[in-house]
Amino acid sequence: MKRGFLLWCAALATYAFLYLPLAVVVLFSFNDSELNAAWVGFTTHWYSRLLADEVLLQAAGNSLLIALVSSSIATVLGTMAGIAMHRWRLRLLPFLVLTPVAMPEILLGVSLLLFFRQVLDLTLGLFSILVAHITFSIGFVAIIVRARLAGMDESIFEAARDLGASPWRTFTRITLPLILPGIVAGYLMAFTLSIDDFVITFFVAGVGMSTLPLQIYSMIKVAVTPEINAISTLLMGLTLTLIGLASRFAPELWRSKS
Amino acid sequence: MKGLALLLLMLCSLACAEDVLYLYNWNNYISEQTAARFEAWCRCKLKQDYYSDNEEMLAKLEAGATGYDLLVPTGNAVETLIRKKELRPIDPKQLPHFGNLHPAYRDAWYDSGNRYSVPYAYTVTLLGYNATRLKELGLPTDTWALIFEPAYLKKLKGKVTVLNSQRELMAAALLYLGHPAQDTDPLHWQAARDLILRAKPYWAAFSNSTYIKDLAIGNIWVAHGYSNDMFRAREDAKAAHRPFSVEFRIPKEGAVLAVDNFVIHKASRRPDLAHRFIDFMLSGENAADVSNLIGAGNPNQAALPHIRPEVAGETAIFPNAADRQRLSMLRDLEPAQRRLMSRIWTEIKVR
Amino acid sequence: MRAFSFWPKGFLQCFLKGDRLTRWLVTLPPSLFLVIFFLLPSLIMVAASFREPGEFGGLAPLAERGLTLEAYRFLAEDIIYLWILAKSFLVAGLTTLFCLLLAFPVALLIARSPKRQRDFLVLLVILPFASNFLIRIYAWIMILGPMNLLYSPVAVILGMVYVHLPFMVLPLYTNLEKHDPALLEAAQDLGAGAWTRFWRITFPLSLPGVFSGAALVFIPVLGMFAVPELLGGTGDILIGNLIKEQFLDNRDWPLGASLSLGLTAAVLGVAALSAVLTRRRTGKLGAGT
Repeated sequence: MKRGFLLWCAALATYAFLYLPLAVVVLFSFNDSELNAAWVGFTTHWYSRLLADEVLLQAAGNSLLIALVSSSIATVLGTMAGIAMHRWRLRLLPFLVLTPVAMPEILLGVSLLLFFRQVLDLTLGLFSILVAHITFSIGFVAIIVRARLAGMDESIFEAARDLGASPWRTFTRITLPLILPGIVAGYLMAFTLSIDDFVITFFVAGVGMSTLPLQIYSMIKVAVTPEINAISTLLMGLTLTLIGLASRFAPELWRSKS
Repeated sequence: MKGLALLLLMLCSLACAEDVLYLYNWNNYISEQTAARFEAWCRCKLKQDYYSDNEEMLAKLEAGATGYDLLVPTGNAVETLIRKKELRPIDPKQLPHFGNLHPAYRDAWYDSGNRYSVPYAYTVTLLGYNATRLKELGLPTDTWALIFEPAYLKKLKGKVTVLNSQRELMAAALLYLGHPAQDTDPLHWQAARDLILRAKPYWAAFSNSTYIKDLAIGNIWVAHGYSNDMFRAREDAKAAHRPFSVEFRIPKEGAVLAVDNFVIHKASRRPDLAHRFIDFMLSGENAADVSNLIGAGNPNQAALPHIRPEVAGETAIFPNAADRQRLSMLRDLEPAQRRLMSRIWTEIKVR
Repeated sequence: MRAFSFWPKGFLQCFLKGDRLTRWLVTLPPSLFLVIFFLLPSLIMVAASFREPGEFGGLAPLAERGLTLEAYRFLAEDIIYLWILAKSFLVAGLTTLFCLLLAFPVALLIARSPKRQRDFLVLLVILPFASNFLIRIYAWIMILGPMNLLYSPVAVILGMVYVHLPFMVLPLYTNLEKHDPALLEAAQDLGAGAWTRFWRITFPLSLPGVFSGAALVFIPVLGMFAVPELLGGTGDILIGNLIKEQFLDNRDWPLGASLSLGLTAAVLGVAALSAVLTRRRTGKLGAGT
């Protein structure tokens, strides 16, 4: 009994470590003081200032657009990769899919910067960000889809084939509906990764194009103001809602992550 | 139906094709009032992105930053940009106010004939200090020794900040050692590094902006920084009725002068607006703002009557002819020198 | 999917009949994309490290300056770069250790909770992870600032631990969940105390989870530049900061590329070590994963 109690205490301390800092951020987003040091009074001033900030809203719009497009493409390519890796013994593809997931992000960012500037002589912006986000998202989608396929009973597919269904028909009528939750989970994962990414975007964005994380970064670097708390709180609310939706539609999302 | 579509199109061309001028500028280098006045005057929008270092601006351009009409590089960066063929020649016919510029600031070594650049403002990198404290301690105020000599630093431990900029800090050390600021001799660089490493334990921090506040509050007694920032620290301390005063001086060993210029990027989509902006900023009244509100030195003669006397009379902001002899501008480094400088800088920070 | 039915019947049939063809159709698009946008850029980075820096940044023209080992020679000349790499390893090691200490009780608690609560408790670990990584760093700026701990090595490690903790909890939990409670009961019946049971049974069995969690924390920390930049002081430079500086401040791309390759080598070494350790442990004790 005593041991269980100790375990509870230790675990509780870790949970507190996880949540207290975020609670402070949320609390101070309502604090009526520019200095962010002590509690002065309640205000929603920082939120209204946020909603009037054109640059920030523009960056948020960019982030949303990039996340929608890149996660859609990454989901198609990642699903293909997941199916291929499950179905056939391949050598190159697993390496290509899994390495970007495991590498420190800075390496992918730097090599893409070199590639875009030195080889393609591309002007950095929307396109380079999209390509970079697709590159690092494919792996996550593929892993989730493959995990879903691995948990399924092969005999269903054999039965379908035995009954004379063409491979395409087997795919659309049986495989696809069965792995759909995995694909949805992969899509949501890719979306979250894209809208959240800072490191890789930092290298391939150039200067004219800004996303929300880049904007938050420069806000933190220039001056620490309660506006950052407000935008953080809003973003946390958004991700919470997304996760709520995701776990309702596709409980695999966070189970397959582990 | 067709008429409606046409009307919509016209409306759109009015509202959508809003005139926008993109400016890549230093932090806090054009006051909000000036920007707002320009927007009202040209009926267009001024959009700014900021950098805090020439090196940063050049690196970002190299890494593919585009879409800017105007940049505000310091002399050495102007030279680099010209050699890199990144700039669009200025059309003098579109700048009727060009004659307002003081002759001393025209025809600079980096752009003879002002083919690409128009000087906007200048700053001196110098020492700002808490005059009251230093008097109590009996320390000199006109020498780089203040931040490099352990004998002085012993009394100032933890009360000194230096710029977090490799070129500026190395220039100060080189000047103190009796070398020119733009020296590139590796042996002199090593001597400067050793001087810096010897003094580093006494410094509180490497800081590019927080020293303004810290000087004004009194946390810091000596800061290596830009004249316009020191000006602001002095104003802030005065406004807060601090029991001390903040002053700043050009050290007798010499200092770095940074002349910042407007240049038009070759890819600018609105060179017409860019020229209008430059000419707007050349008119005396508008040019005066950068001195009155930000405390920078002004190459514009027509601005002088509009500048507050306490700013215009400050020799550390407006150096006289004798002071100007002791000022020098930095030059851009070759790739191999950049590499060596970056390693020295890493050593300075980590050791 | 109905939309496809307007295609002539024979068309799709002839395409999809052979499994080989299907295989190519499914495998090719993602492979091609990743070859172009992942493999090729990585190879170009290797090539770039043997080039000379351009006059204004970027790379010098190949025809004029050719290939050179200069960047590597320059790195080898001064011990400082090796020292920074070693420091990055130290920070990554400490971060991994603290993550392990914090994560173990949580993972154990989740694994021993009733099945129904487990998903919820796991979700509680992941939730803060879903807020933006910069925001999580910012939270510590707010907390450490008034405590006078900001801009110090302590702040860097704290931030690193906070940002990477879930990477340690999840693999540990997956492993602990699979342990057979009968083992512990048997040990208890034989008179083993709580500590003995933990150190002799639970911990050794959990080692595969520990190793994979350690790799998931250690590797990203090695390349991190944002945490030291926002929470660290002037001297808190890791290899990631050095790489970033070469590309975004110093305009020395070949040096940045060679530093990146150094980091890649370090990462591959760590990954290989972790794989070997995990496999050996798994082989010896026959526990899951």
